[in-house]
Amino acid sequence: MSIDIEKYNSQHKPTWCPGCGNFAISMALKKALSELNIPPSQAFIAFDIGCNGNGADTVATYAFKGLHGRAVALASGAHLANRDFTTIAELGDGACFHEGLDHLINAVRSNYDITILIHNNQNFALTTGQATVETQKGKPMYALPGGKPEKEYNTNELILSLHPTFFAKGYSGDIQELTDIIKRGIKHKGCSVIEISQLCPSYNRECTPQWFTEHIVKISSLKNYSETSFDDAHNLIQKMIKEEKIYTGVIYENKNVKTFYENLPSRKSFTTELSEEVKEYNIKKILETFK
Amino acid sequence: MKEKNYRAAIKFAGASGQGINTTGQILTQALNSAGYEIFGYREYPSLIKGGNASYQVDFSNYKVNSPSKYCNILSTISENSLHKYIYDVKNNGFIIHDGDEIQLSTEEEIYVKKNNIQLIALNSKKIATNAGGTEIMANAVLLGFLWRILRKDKQILIDEIMEFFGEKKIDQQAEKRCILAGYENSLYRDTYSDNIFIPKPSILHSKQYAMTGNDAIALGALSAGVRAFYGYPMTPATSIYKLLGETSQQTGLLVKQAENEITAVQMALGSMYMGTRALTATSGGGFDLMIETISSAGMSETPLVIVLAQRNGPATGVPTWTGAGDINTAVKGGHGDYPKCVISVSDLPSCYTLIQQAYNISEKYQIPVILLTEKQIAEGLFSIDQLPKPLKIERGLEKGNKRYKITDTGISPRWIPSKSNKPYLSTTDEHLENGVSTEDAVSIMKMSKKRMLKMETLEKEIPQPQYYGNKNAESVFVGFGSVKNTILDAIKEYPNYAYLHYEYIYPLKTEQFEKLVNQNKRIILVENNQTGQLGSLISEKTGYTFSEKLLKYDGRPFFVEDILNFISE
Repeated sequence: MSIDIEKYNSQHKPTWCPGCGNFAISMALKKALSELNIPPSQAFIAFDIGCNGNGADTVATYAFKGLHGRAVALASGAHLANRDFTTIAELGDGACFHEGLDHLINAVRSNYDITILIHNNQNFALTTGQATVETQKGKPMYALPGGKPEKEYNTNELILSLHPTFFAKGYSGDIQELTDIIKRGIKHKGCSVIEISQLCPSYNRECTPQWFTEHIVKISSLKNYSETSFDDAHNLIQKMIKEEKIYTGVIYENKNVKTFYENLPSRKSFTTELSEEVKEYNIKKILETFK
Repeated sequence: MKEKNYRAAIKFAGASGQGINTTGQILTQALNSAGYEIFGYREYPSLIKGGNASYQVDFSNYKVNSPSKYCNILSTISENSLHKYIYDVKNNGFIIHDGDEIQLSTEEEIYVKKNNIQLIALNSKKIATNAGGTEIMANAVLLGFLWRILRKDKQILIDEIMEFFGEKKIDQQAEKRCILAGYENSLYRDTYSDNIFIPKPSILHSKQYAMTGNDAIALGALSAGVRAFYGYPMTPATSIYKLLGETSQQTGLLVKQAENEITAVQMALGSMYMGTRALTATSGGGFDLMIETISSAGMSETPLVIVLAQRNGPATGVPTWTGAGDINTAVKGGHGDYPKCVISVSDLPSCYTLIQQAYNISEKYQIPVILLTEKQIAEGLFSIDQLPKPLKIERGLEKGNKRYKITDTGISPRWIPSKSNKPYLSTTDEHLENGVSTEDAVSIMKMSKKRMLKMETLEKEIPQPQYYGNKNAESVFVGFGSVKNTILDAIKEYPNYAYLHYEYIYPLKTEQFEKLVNQNKRIILVENNQTGQLGSLISEKTGYTFSEKLLKYDGRPFFVEDILNFISE
């Protein structure tokens, strides 16, 4: 049993370029929600600014299209107010690794129970193709005819160094695998980071579907790979660097870490959500301490 | 300068880290318990150990809400502080200094003689260690000695100190012995008490509450149903976080120190969207980082409440000193035109009530509300018999079909996300009634007008500024924030002076102000900033030009003497 996927669509059509990876990522998210039986009225999506953020108009869930770089912080606050919602933050590599890097790092550290979808197309596409940290060194980009002067940083190493409780990589060209990964991420109790390699036919023309086919390997094809082994995850990322390949699937999951909320002594005795608790608190007892 | 003899002041001074703040608070609380109206005023440097720190308590049988510049008794525990504050001692005052002797410069000697100031050297560190205490308990010795001069019951002080240190790991018996060693010290003379002005305790005064402005804001937030606090440390906002954090075990509040102010305000916004009440508090620098989010709350019509605790200067300024120069950033900050509300507190009742009002306005009008306070209010210790009654929580929730429906008031239906309600998109893009983004010229105009209409609706609801004093007064001071406290303390005996106080800064109401202008009153603008920022807002709206401005921006609050000197000039 799953919910009709049309229920997740608003009446508005996406505005992305033909061939954009966002169509597939958006579809995979809706499929994941549908297959997990999470109705649109129980999902909250925080959208960032960028091409993917323009998808906010197309969903029929609760959603907030906020500021550039802030989707993760906004989603964290929304999630803490009502944990009955499935909370998703969608943002691009510009938002995640530039403007909002601190939010990513600290959301992973705090281990809020949210799912972060990073649409990685290796450039700022909506502003017509500026270089991000993910753009290859030397590649000519907007206002950089001589090529991007600095090197990239390895986002896999960065994310793993934070000891995330869930880290996976997906590809916009494989909707079924991406759907399964997102489902795993949503089901994981804690902060799930899913980095998605995304086709961008307008500003990342080198990375064609053909290119991805040649560079993508499924983690499931590896023998004896353990998702719960941090060492395996570490070795896999080194392997990706060495082989210049992208491995997709769940890289690492640790189910033994409590979420931020579960670690709060002040919330231990509560069964209600913060969104249900807005009423006058009687300050009489606290007031006595000021006598 | 005419000065009325109804209030006295004691100043404790030393280096940061010597327990000055604690000692001052204990003395203030003890005077409160002894039946006085009190006001505690703190000066300290932005460092942990060293520098000069002081804590002054003004006390009276009348209400006092402001500090005086000069004190009757100065108690110093470091050489530097003795020389720094010696000229702040009044005629016939006392200096009690820790040490075997007091060495003064020739100039200081002349000042002391001329003003008939009595010097007492009390080797309080030695007395403390002899009594089995530690060196820091020299403060308790000084307190005991002072208490004797004031001729107050020693048990009040002992109770206060026991209560203060109740939950801390401190040798309470040693504290007690040190107080007694000071109280019963042989250096005491009856003439000390005879020669100093000690106000009588207030007859009406029952045992009151003593708290800072930040305490009252935190309590008001709890009364308003706030369930989450997202903070990032910045003086002088930080103590709101302290009280909410320390009581979170009993209140169930979710308290989170965010990685920075942008996260804090974004988390608050996310939580408010989801239907709870969340708070964040900061000072000018942190507030500036939050401004993009404030603009986004205005556009997305999401409720948001921020406490902006002001301090002196632009940039880092003088971080632990007071000022009220953030009206401009609060009112005019943020790109684009969007509705918001800016309110300023002044004393305990307003701190407690206006934070609640901020939430009601923010939720009903779906706008960001900025509550201004100042270091002087945030960390000043005030006394009060009873806090006002809590306000009724008003949220303006209403189910609907279109989240941004165009209405006569500008206010659209807003409902809390839940499974049983219709999902909606909140957005920072310009949008249609259903939240979908638009670039259509007519739609942009329509939605912009709808949003701004809320300002007109709000302006009708908020009150006129408050007029204090004699109706027939010829001169009227105009101001906001902590200047109210000083002016009201100062003009008690001057019926020819009145005060017009602005709590609601934006939207700004000027009818009453213009009435005073039309009555040909002498108008004096009083502000704790360099350019008269409230005055500029008033001028912008009315075209009135202030010819008399009393502006202070040296990091100090207005002392009573500042106003009294102005009046007598």
